[in-house]
Amino acid sequence: MLGTRLRTLRTLATLVPLTLAGTEVTSAAPVSSHAAAGSTLTIALPNDITGWGPDQAQGNYQAWPFEAVYDSLVRCTVSNAVVPGLATSWTFNPRHTVFTAHIRPGMVFSDGTPVNAAAVKANYSRDQKLPTGGGYWTGLTFTTPDPMTIVVTSAKPDPAMPVVNLCTNGIASPKYLASGKLNTAPVGSGPYTLEASATTPGSVYTLVKNPGNWDAKAFPFNTIVMKVIGSPTAIINALKTGQLDGAPVPQNLYNETIASGLKLVALPGETTRLLITDHLGKIVPALGNVNVRRAMNMVFDKSAIAKALYQGHATPTDQIPPPTADAYSKGLKDPYPYNIAAAKALMAKAGYANGFSVDMPFYAGVGMDSLFPVVIQQLGLINIKVHEVTLTGPNAISELLSGKYPLLMWPLGNYGNTLSDIAQAILQPSIWNVEHQPDATIQSLYTKMLNSTTTAQYKANLQAIYRYTIDQAWFVPIVYQNVYFAYNPKTVSIPAVSDSQYLNPLLWDFRLP
Amino acid sequence: MLGFLVRKVARSAAVLVVVSFATFLLIYGNGPGIARNVLGGSISLATDAQVHAEMVKLGLDRPIVVQYGSWVNGVLTGNLQDSFFTGQPVTSTLVNRVPVTLSVTGLTLLLTIVFSVLMGVAAAVYGGWVDRLVQLLAVLGGAVPSFIVAIGLVFALAVDIRLFPATGYVSPSQSVSQWAQSLVLPVVALLVGSVGSAASQFRGAVADALEQAYVRTLRARGIAERYIILRHVLRNAAGPGLTVLSLQTIALIGGVVVIEQVFALPGMGQLATNAAEQGDVPVVMGSVLVMIVVVLVVNVLTDVATAFVNPKSKLL
Repeated sequence: MLGTRLRTLRTLATLVPLTLAGTEVTSAAPVSSHAAAGSTLTIALPNDITGWGPDQAQGNYQAWPFEAVYDSLVRCTVSNAVVPGLATSWTFNPRHTVFTAHIRPGMVFSDGTPVNAAAVKANYSRDQKLPTGGGYWTGLTFTTPDPMTIVVTSAKPDPAMPVVNLCTNGIASPKYLASGKLNTAPVGSGPYTLEASATTPGSVYTLVKNPGNWDAKAFPFNTIVMKVIGSPTAIINALKTGQLDGAPVPQNLYNETIASGLKLVALPGETTRLLITDHLGKIVPALGNVNVRRAMNMVFDKSAIAKALYQGHATPTDQIPPPTADAYSKGLKDPYPYNIAAAKALMAKAGYANGFSVDMPFYAGVGMDSLFPVVIQQLGLINIKVHEVTLTGPNAISELLSGKYPLLMWPLGNYGNTLSDIAQAILQPSIWNVEHQPDATIQSLYTKMLNSTTTAQYKANLQAIYRYTIDQAWFVPIVYQNVYFAYNPKTVSIPAVSDSQYLNPLLWDFRLP
Repeated sequence: MLGFLVRKVARSAAVLVVVSFATFLLIYGNGPGIARNVLGGSISLATDAQVHAEMVKLGLDRPIVVQYGSWVNGVLTGNLQDSFFTGQPVTSTLVNRVPVTLSVTGLTLLLTIVFSVLMGVAAAVYGGWVDRLVQLLAVLGGAVPSFIVAIGLVFALAVDIRLFPATGYVSPSQSVSQWAQSLVLPVVALLVGSVGSAASQFRGAVADALEQAYVRTLRARGIAERYIILRHVLRNAAGPGLTVLSLQTIALIGGVVVIEQVFALPGMGQLATNAAEQGDVPVVMGSVLVMIVVVLVVNVLTDVATAFVNPKSKLL
């Protein structure tokens, strides 16, 4: 993806086979056939969308409606290679500060207005002003040297720009954006348009093929029906009876799904981890001691946790990035194997043989309910007394991220783009580095990475950042939880998953059986 | 009767105001939290200035009483505000959802009345094994939660034998037969729990009425038993039964939430649950308003029906 000279990339999307990005599970029993396979695809959305503005794409399965109606400037493959989207060609300068993209001519939005550089600029300028931008657009400027060329310039080297900004954000009609009426229907140039007559907001969204889309042939289904179904019971029943062709299913329905003759795609999902953010010991002095943090890594039998708590639907890990990521250090032996005695010795060496107390927030509903008591128990073995603080209500997340609690647990990241993980959890201003404490080594390594002149150098520097966080025990990675997507093999197939976050099949992954 | 009706409606209106204000206070009380939630979803990076601006935009910076007054004004003009998240008018959202829930609860209530009266009367009149069977069914129906029944019905009659659809709702305007098919399993699931207790109540009331002196007198005059039961006994036994039915209706509104989840019915229950989880307060308030109105209407109708069968109750 990064080289000294990036020229036009006209490669086909290289989809990582399911054996790497996801594992397919099969069974032999028959399931229902859906009417007219190939014409209509019916899938479930576990939660409703909150509006049609391109910025309202929530990610994960909730992004499907947006993938249907909007194009992005470029697309990213599972390995974060950039491939054509609205843009047919582009350049990214060696310093990673200027991304120049040339937009394919002749495209229009569904309201008839043209897709051009001005439209892209209008979208990005709007994204920059939104409070939900997350700071990812800070320092970017947008110019249009000609009607079909957009130049995105970053004040600082930003190798993640294509992946974090340009692949993810859909482009809507500027006229539509200016109207402010972004909640009833979308206006994009994507492979599908919303069929209002067959749509009931909150219940079912019907999308019909846009034959004028540049990539129409890549989408084999003429109609996609997305049903909002929150109950896993209803989802599995609808899959079994042919009312759905595909849907996400929770881990506890794995066996039933297989027994029903459905197929499953298993994706490694997110990394559940402890985040020890008080590296300088300002809030809890003990957490400022690296031996304490290392000891905390050594009290978890991750294999047993994966087997007992997750019934095998999780993979134990001692690194944050997934094995397929550039940041993953292959061959790195776990420096903190499960060893209570050794952990106690480290605590004694740090002067905390008698342990200490720490508040730790618990937020229900993100899959940590069974793990939290285990964490409390295990840390208790080295005399760390965890006081659980339950966070609820609309301010819970704000409080979680406020810096009040230097020790957190959360299923985060596992981004195929590990730069997002660095931006989200490692750098000083990162949202999940809640104490925002400076670290000269990290800053130095990050700068070195940004100034890499070859891909090999870049990868080495990227790995060095994560090795540093391992050495300093900033995190306690525990497991990658599996996320499952079930589908009827008689009506749809998913030969590969192109989601670089390994969370779900993308809309263009659905194929005819 | 008119005076009685006016008094009941006036009392209901007063209850509506009190309950809606208390609910509004609870739901809209945390203006900054609502605004932050709207701005950022689950992880809000909005600054305090942005939160305040959003509060002003949504009208949440005004005193709570002023906000309530504005909401009431909207209710009276048919405007329940717009969803904070989807921008859809709450009124139009409710228009889509209410018929689904009313279809399920309305049919369930109608069938509950029919079956509970038939079973209650049969149990009281025939006694013996009929009576014991009705009582057993009442206990079983009350003991097994409706969602368990629903799941069992789905497995048996939708998944194993594809007799009915496992999920979904079809509007009668699209197809009456498919509408009916889509309601069979949800209605039966709710019926199992509601018929039992109502039938028990009718059974007891009819049994009591059959022991009254006027029944002996009517029998002595040679009046047909069927006429005695339908014309006299049922009328006198209806009061307690109607009260139980009104309580059943209120329970149905709560129970339908789970049933809508099991069958993926896009009704009020699902709407209210999702809106509450999301913090979409206008939708929550609109849902609560509908539910309050339904409960109050059912209470008024019950009182009117009770007054019709027992004029002495009009004195209350």
